[in-house]
Amino acid sequence: MTNIMKTKNIRPAKVILLTFLLFFTLSQTLSANKGLEIAIKSDKNFDGYEDSSSEMTMELISKKGDVVTRKLKFKRLEVPGDGDKSLAVFESPRDVKGVAILSFAHKTEPDDQWLYLPALKRVKRIASKNKSGPFLGSEFSFEDFSFQEVEKYDYQYIRDEEYEGMLCHVIERIPLDPYSGYTKQIVWIDTEYFLIRKIHHFDRKSFHLKTQLFLDYEIYDEAYWQPHRVVMNNNQNGKSSILSFKEVKYKNGLTDRDFSQNSLKRSR
Amino acid sequence: MRTICTIIGVSLFSCSIFSEVLGELILENRSFFKEGYLNQDKQHSSFTFSPEIYIEDGETIFHFKSKFRKDSQDTNRNLLDIQELYFLSIGESKEIKYGVSKEFWGVTETNHRVDIINQTDFTEALDGEEKLGQPMIKVSFEESWGNLDIYALLGFRERKFFGKEGRLTLPVIIDKNESVYESSAKDRRTDFAIRWSNYYDQLDIAISYFSGNSREPRIIPIDDAYSKMIPLYETIDQVGLELTYLVGSLALKAEIISRSGQGERFSALTAGFEYTQVGIFDSRIDLGWILEMNHDDRLDSSPSILGTRLSLNDAYDSQILSGIVWNKVNGEVGFLLESSRRIGDCCLLSIEGFYFDDRDRDNNEPKLFETLLDDDFLKLEFTYYL
Repeated sequence: MTNIMKTKNIRPAKVILLTFLLFFTLSQTLSANKGLEIAIKSDKNFDGYEDSSSEMTMELISKKGDVVTRKLKFKRLEVPGDGDKSLAVFESPRDVKGVAILSFAHKTEPDDQWLYLPALKRVKRIASKNKSGPFLGSEFSFEDFSFQEVEKYDYQYIRDEEYEGMLCHVIERIPLDPYSGYTKQIVWIDTEYFLIRKIHHFDRKSFHLKTQLFLDYEIYDEAYWQPHRVVMNNNQNGKSSILSFKEVKYKNGLTDRDFSQNSLKRSR
Repeated sequence: MRTICTIIGVSLFSCSIFSEVLGELILENRSFFKEGYLNQDKQHSSFTFSPEIYIEDGETIFHFKSKFRKDSQDTNRNLLDIQELYFLSIGESKEIKYGVSKEFWGVTETNHRVDIINQTDFTEALDGEEKLGQPMIKVSFEESWGNLDIYALLGFRERKFFGKEGRLTLPVIIDKNESVYESSAKDRRTDFAIRWSNYYDQLDIAISYFSGNSREPRIIPIDDAYSKMIPLYETIDQVGLELTYLVGSLALKAEIISRSGQGERFSALTAGFEYTQVGIFDSRIDLGWILEMNHDDRLDSSPSILGTRLSLNDAYDSQILSGIVWNKVNGEVGFLLESSRRIGDCCLLSIEGFYFDDRDRDNNEPKLFETLLDDDFLKLEFTYYL
């Protein structure tokens, strides 16, 4: 009798706990699934782009409002089944003119990266894991420039909310790469085109370090959306960097040959 | 640039061409703390100008770059050199280069053992990274099995040495006007080189072979009385191996050569690592470490080098480089401190300090720095980009 009583007493609690746990894990899985789904949909925007080229201007704005400018050329190539290949060539300031970085991104493996130093005419293999450092003294880090392959993050769906007049999915993504400078990113993706509109970057101390805005999207070849301005605001030091894109071209007919060591040596 | 494109373009090519005219002006002053071993002056200044033209028209590239240097003290440091003057024709998987050019081989930072295509100009920089242009025909293949470069090197450039008035001070005065060659073709010899390179995951590898006039001469006395020393350029065969292997953010590197033709066959090695700590002390400053060790069969002992690079990652790209060279067998040490930053968008300022010491003057080991002990100096360099 007492046994029955005990079981009877315990049973409802267990059921509630189990249901709660089940619901919790289920909702966790569901929100993870939903987060991943949104990320995949957003990534699909670039399926079949083949290749693209652009000229970038980067403005580094100090806390006082002083501006210095950097210029670079950027080319990338879609590699079906793997990460993309890219070539960035610095144009200004003059002392780094001709310096170039060739990257072969991979979905889960570390990226392959070579640096070209024009003064010595040297090609140097570099560790792509040093990705959390500032890019050309800007508020962007090297990893902000690398391709954000879907496989490189874990996702959680958080909520839907209005942002700048657009209904957006808000998802959280956690970089799987231990060498990432970020512990967490909150990403706003609009529900109409599935384009990234805003990212909050959290540093290793889980401090909301930087806010990245993707502005002035334009469509190319009726298929590929390209932001023409990307702003990175650093909440800690008050500096910001603005990346502007010009001469954006898709499907230039680029091939692996345009992303080889020899092409790196003659990049201008 | 557009106007030049239009002027040349309309008359010669279609105007899909890309062209640039550039220039670099360097003012340098080296201040030595003491008069030299041979009573050379304390102040040495020089002026270097390098104009450059680059034209690219689809599959063809034309590149010209020359270097003119005038030194205040040492006529041997004066230079008029064509660094680049070539046509490059780019095919589907093949490139052919005709003309004068520079080619770099190697992976280590502090010593460049494998690098052999161009003559090194040590009078300009002690790091062995300043080169003289080399006439060549180069054919490059880029295939799935790697990159293959084949060179015919047409003619030879002799090494430059500091003169009597110049600094640093060499242990002997070398009369470069009386250099001798083993090859009867002397400096007209056509040398041959080939290099294969590829990468496999985290490993980059290159194997090379060179046959021809040694870029590095042996210094020999002209007679038994040692009245004069002259460079002897022997015909050598050299096999080289270059390796870079990445382990996380650590890069392990090695360069190995085996050379015959200068007395007994010998091997030499430089090996070490490079590692960068990104964002030290939660700042945006990176700290890079380099440790490299040397071995050379010809020498009783070789130095090791530890270097650090502090990159502030600011808008001026400010950097502070330091290096210690030490040879624990003969007791010689050297220090280098270099700091550089950009000024505006046009200019670069760098300050370097060199200090040479012998911590154990009484041992009987062969010394390399003996004549350099009075040659500690500060170098101020200002570069203006046109």
